[in-house]
Amino acid sequence: MALLAFQHDKKLGVADNSARYDLPLHNSAGSGFLLLLVALMSFLAMMTMTGAFAMHGVTSMWSSGLENQATIEIPARMSDGELRDKNELSALRDKLNGFLADQSYIESYEVMSREAVADLVSPWLGDDVNTAELPLPVLISVKLEDSSADILYRIRQNIRKYADDIRLDTHESWLSDILRLAGSLQFSAVIVTLIIGATTVIAIAGAVRSRMAEFRGDIELLHLMGASSTYISSQFQRHSVILSFKGSIIGIITGALALGLFSILSPSGAESLVPALHLGLFEWIILLLIPVAACLIAHITAKITVLRTLSELPL
Amino acid sequence: MIKFEHVGLRYGVGPEVLSDVNFSLEPGSFHFLNGPSGAGKTSLMSLMYLGRKSTRGRVTMFGQSINDMPQEGLAKLRQKIGVVFQEFRLLPHLSAFDNVALPLRIIGTPEREIMSNVNELLEWVGLGDYKQSLPLTLSGGQQQRIAVARAVIARPKLLLADEPTGNLDDEMGFRLMNLFEQLNTMGTTIVIATHSQAIMEKFGHPRMMLGHGHLNIEDPKKNWLQRTMDGVF
Repeated sequence: MALLAFQHDKKLGVADNSARYDLPLHNSAGSGFLLLLVALMSFLAMMTMTGAFAMHGVTSMWSSGLENQATIEIPARMSDGELRDKNELSALRDKLNGFLADQSYIESYEVMSREAVADLVSPWLGDDVNTAELPLPVLISVKLEDSSADILYRIRQNIRKYADDIRLDTHESWLSDILRLAGSLQFSAVIVTLIIGATTVIAIAGAVRSRMAEFRGDIELLHLMGASSTYISSQFQRHSVILSFKGSIIGIITGALALGLFSILSPSGAESLVPALHLGLFEWIILLLIPVAACLIAHITAKITVLRTLSELPL
Repeated sequence: MIKFEHVGLRYGVGPEVLSDVNFSLEPGSFHFLNGPSGAGKTSLMSLMYLGRKSTRGRVTMFGQSINDMPQEGLAKLRQKIGVVFQEFRLLPHLSAFDNVALPLRIIGTPEREIMSNVNELLEWVGLGDYKQSLPLTLSGGQQQRIAVARAVIARPKLLLADEPTGNLDDEMGFRLMNLFEQLNTMGTTIVIATHSQAIMEKFGHPRMMLGHGHLNIEDPKKNWLQRTMDGVF
């Protein structure tokens, strides 16, 4: 105990040999705040960008899954409201079957069984409803070689020869709405990322300005000893970059843990409308560049702030 | 080296603390700056070490007018000036060694050279055992010696010292004055603000007498010669 006290006493009033700056920036109380702020901003940026990547994955899955796909529907109820006779439904289905088999621009098609159609509507009706007597439409899933407007027009014209109310659904109407929504969300993610960047710039500039005010006397002394503005700003730049790097590393490690947790908890499987969260190499590289971006922002912001503030000094 | 032409200085809207100051110092000269308290010695020194700009007149340093000089140009000029401040102005978080090394680091001297030069100078001023000490743990005299060492370490062309021996005993005071003399013989122009008659008389350099904001230069050697000549003829 006495030895410990002696060692402690020996250090009193002695520089710790680790002074990396002419200005005591590393001892400033604001350093912890800036580190925490950059960590939070990096975490938020990572979450926002991951959200944008996930949204991009979803839209890709939806649009590629439905590309050149169409569904022909023979409604169970006719346009006058009467139920269509089962035999008539079967006859129309056979005619369409024959028609589709002869068309060169149709890559493949599949007449969905009554059970498959019942399965499609079961989520809305519940498991305890008997679908055996339920009037169900006939659905034919069609994969086209090409879904140009001309081909779609020709199909529509031909299927209407069999019945006026037979419909061709290309999924365009609802898919375009969802893609527009997804696009808006992705755009929002970009805006949020930019706001995070701007907030980081403002926070770093504020921290640098407050430190310059705190150490104004010391900065003046360095100036009087012939230190150029670039020499002084390099001290702030180095300090801000080191803090931002530490903060952003903490932020992205926390973010990676959160994403891992989200990935475990999120739904997965082929039947899910939303794909499992999976980031590719490119997406990971972008996310791992967040510390680089944070350091770059810190470097440029500190430099501009210090040089501008020094230029306002009388000498 | 230094030329002041009709220089005036006022703080804010107050009265002029320096009015119509004119003088010129040759390279390699040695002057004492003397005058009563409040005469404007520190203000005049601050104009000479480019710590502020005059409110009127023209100041020329090292052959260049500083009135409209940009900041980067001023920084280059300041690197040629060593200053011992009255209140020392040491950086409290830096060791004695790092405080003295600061001017060398600013001009980009290699670290190995800094090590040997600073160690040698600290030994010379008697602070070899306090290299890692923080200024606040040292006495006033020790801090003053660090301030002097910092001012001379980069061998400035102009050395300005405001009461550099004020906190020192006579022996250390004269020792530092000898260091200034030595620097002067090597070509450094020196201006020392002091109240010490003993030092001014012992070293006998010309005196810049400041009073009521005006400056006169008196040379005791010339005055002695004049008096002697007057006595003979």
